[in-house]
Amino acid sequence: MTKITPDEVKFIAQYICNISGISLDQSKAYLFETRLGGILQEFGCSSFNDLHYKAKADVSKALERKIIDAISTNETLFFRDTGPFELLRHKILPDIIDRRSAKSSGRLPTPIRIWSAACSTGQEVYSIAIVLKELLPDLSKYNIKLLGTDISDAAIAQSSYGAYNKFEIERGLPPDKLLKYFSRNGDNWKIKDEIRAMALFKKLNLMLPLIGLGKFDIVLCRNVAIYFNLDDKKKLFDKIADILEPDGYLIIGSTESLTGICPRFEPKRYLKSIFYQLKT
Amino acid sequence: MNNLKILVVDDDPITLLLLEKRLQKEEYAIEIAKNGTEAIALISKHYFDVVVTDLKMPGGLDGIDVLEASKAVNHRTEVILITAHATIDTAVAAMKKGASDYLQKPINFDELMIRLGKINNMKKLVKNADDLREAMDITEKNAGETIQNLELTVAELQNRLSEIESVLSEKSIDSTERIQLALSMLSAT
Repeated sequence: MTKITPDEVKFIAQYICNISGISLDQSKAYLFETRLGGILQEFGCSSFNDLHYKAKADVSKALERKIIDAISTNETLFFRDTGPFELLRHKILPDIIDRRSAKSSGRLPTPIRIWSAACSTGQEVYSIAIVLKELLPDLSKYNIKLLGTDISDAAIAQSSYGAYNKFEIERGLPPDKLLKYFSRNGDNWKIKDEIRAMALFKKLNLMLPLIGLGKFDIVLCRNVAIYFNLDDKKKLFDKIADILEPDGYLIIGSTESLTGICPRFEPKRYLKSIFYQLKT
Repeated sequence: MNNLKILVVDDDPITLLLLEKRLQKEEYAIEIAKNGTEAIALISKHYFDVVVTDLKMPGGLDGIDVLEASKAVNHRTEVILITAHATIDTAVAAMKKGASDYLQKPINFDELMIRLGKINNMKKLVKNADDLREAMDITEKNAGETIQNLELTVAELQNRLSEIESVLSEKSIDSTERIQLALSMLSAT
């Protein structure tokens, strides 16, 4: 396996931060070697410097996409931490539905717009879809927009396809939900069409302006900001505050905090979970 | 450390004995069954890491039935099929049903050992990953509670600070009163 020098770490780390926000330093040199080593060989690069040069020179950005796919951590599971999903089911969704229905006075379907930022391979999105399906007996009364985005093309492709192997499927999914919402295909499990149809997936880089997304009632941005430096974290949550409805909800990772990062939000507690709303 | 639990299924008593002895020599824990019915009964009673089964067996239940029963009981159990030369297509179809491998008769024991070695390695990796996840889950839960409590406390303190600040800069109240008010707000819980 090709080794990386400290100088190369500096340049590649800066490059990766520029294109994705993922913040890595010298302590993560092993990560570059293990995750990018294969790409080096595949593209015939003699060193990490060579890879860096080739990636920047590649107008098609194919190499850049491969690097992003390889360097991003796709750790995810269904119903991760459970708390947020209880929060959605028992507090946030009922509240939103009450307020939005009152506004549309029953003539039009109640709009509910949810965004899962950095959705990885889709487990979070499908978990939300399942909560919606089980909470709302008649989905046609609602205009649900459930969007999942991620910087990795490969992750979005898998999210969109909705198939999971036996290891992915057993993480977080209770057996009754597995049987109800997935169909088996050999060693893989695929999300059923009725749930798949509830979601939309798009590639999105959180470092870039969040244009064309519209506004959201609920945003989940969990365990992605942990990979960013402080500056990028501040910018990200500021952008999220811009596209959240004034009475909208933000849910972040269970070990994350917005203190000193985004003063526009204030934390609120419901049972054992925390969510954020824009200060009035 | 070879402690895979393996079930060997074959209607030919000689093959069965050979496999049993050879695998026991490698220190795997072996159980045997001479037909599909016996195999399925054992599968529903005990856990196996691997099931090595003949594809074509008399008696109504064949290797595919054993494969399906095994996957239904525990999808983590790997199933290796043993096929005669003429049934390669069936073996490939079985792979699509979740079999992890197939071996042709006459069995090349070296090949079988290599396949089992790979399965063993993968199981160890999976156990490693499982352990890591468990550790991470517990760490996250603990850290999560602490951080969330801190988050709420900080928010509350910030609110109180700004209220006290407003009181202290309220020009319509005289300064001694302002200070008293601020002190009482500070000591309120």
